[in-house]
Amino acid sequence: MVQTIRRGVVAGLLAGLLLATLDFVTDGTPGRLLPEALNWFGITIADPTISRFAGFFLIIVLGGVFGLIFGALQRERIITISRALLSGLALGFVWWLVFDLLLANIMSHHALFSLDFGRFLSTFPIDLLFGVVLGAIYYQLQQQRAAVAL
Amino acid sequence: MSISSSAGDRKRVAVTGARESSTTTPITLSERSITGLALIRIFVGYLWFQQLFWKLPPDFRGLYGYIVSESQHTIIPGYGYILQHTFLAGCTSMSTPAGCTAFVPLAAGVWAAELLVAISLMFGLFTRFGAILATILSLQLYVGLAYTGWIWIYGQMVLLALVLVAVPAGRRLGVDQWLAPRLQAAGQHHRIARIASWFV
Repeated sequence: MVQTIRRGVVAGLLAGLLLATLDFVTDGTPGRLLPEALNWFGITIADPTISRFAGFFLIIVLGGVFGLIFGALQRERIITISRALLSGLALGFVWWLVFDLLLANIMSHHALFSLDFGRFLSTFPIDLLFGVVLGAIYYQLQQQRAAVAL
Repeated sequence: MSISSSAGDRKRVAVTGARESSTTTPITLSERSITGLALIRIFVGYLWFQQLFWKLPPDFRGLYGYIVSESQHTIIPGYGYILQHTFLAGCTSMSTPAGCTAFVPLAAGVWAAELLVAISLMFGLFTRFGAILATILSLQLYVGLAYTGWIWIYGQMVLLALVLVAVPAGRRLGVDQWLAPRLQAAGQHHRIARIASWFV
């Protein structure tokens, strides 16, 4: 169990790093979307540079937490690539639902499920991508471990 | 150069070929290399993804100025004429798509193609198909806009897309990792699966 959780955390941190990096290379000012992660928890930092750095690291930490959940869900099983990708997709969907829909709406005082097309398009595929990458990295780490054991 | 037809010549050619192939070291991509290429694939997909937002439906207004610019600066004679009589047919203004008869459906096609490229490359889903589509779209941008800025901008996009056509970058950190072996197995019995397997 410890092995799968550890593997999940590493995969989650790496997938979180990818997600944070994608949020950094935005059109316009680099990293302008990163403070949104702070807004999910009602955190506001006046300095824009520190705010972006804090958002960057918060996304990586949240990735680690989701990776931990991913690892815990697999228990001690050796999982197939299809299971890894599907579990990842499901967690990506949960990320989108919790952070980019519910928390974002609650913190900006909108209706709980309010969503326009532009916001849906800018968040939903990226959050699913986070999940797919998390699952794929987890599977790769599992295969590496199996190869070393042989 | 001559074409030999005798059995002796053919044997000599075969031996030479075998010797040459034995001196050519086969290239195998390491896990790290293919994972690195998969990361590049995701970022190239994200490049296309970001560019969807300044030309959103339903009016695709952001695209209009670029089509007008392409019709004026194209490097291929006649291409401007084609744009004038398709995308820009009936248009009465240089700044807004007022009066255009075919702009919205054609722009919707461009937008959908770019969305397809973005999804395909980011998720590693039929990556080579997405990369071929990205090559075509980038070539079109090169033809129309190469001389409106730094000439290599769109050239680089063409080259990036071609790299992703050449390398199966979706088979790591992507859905193609799951798809490829299944399509290859099914491809031994089904023609459609065999054709589909070319694109992963």
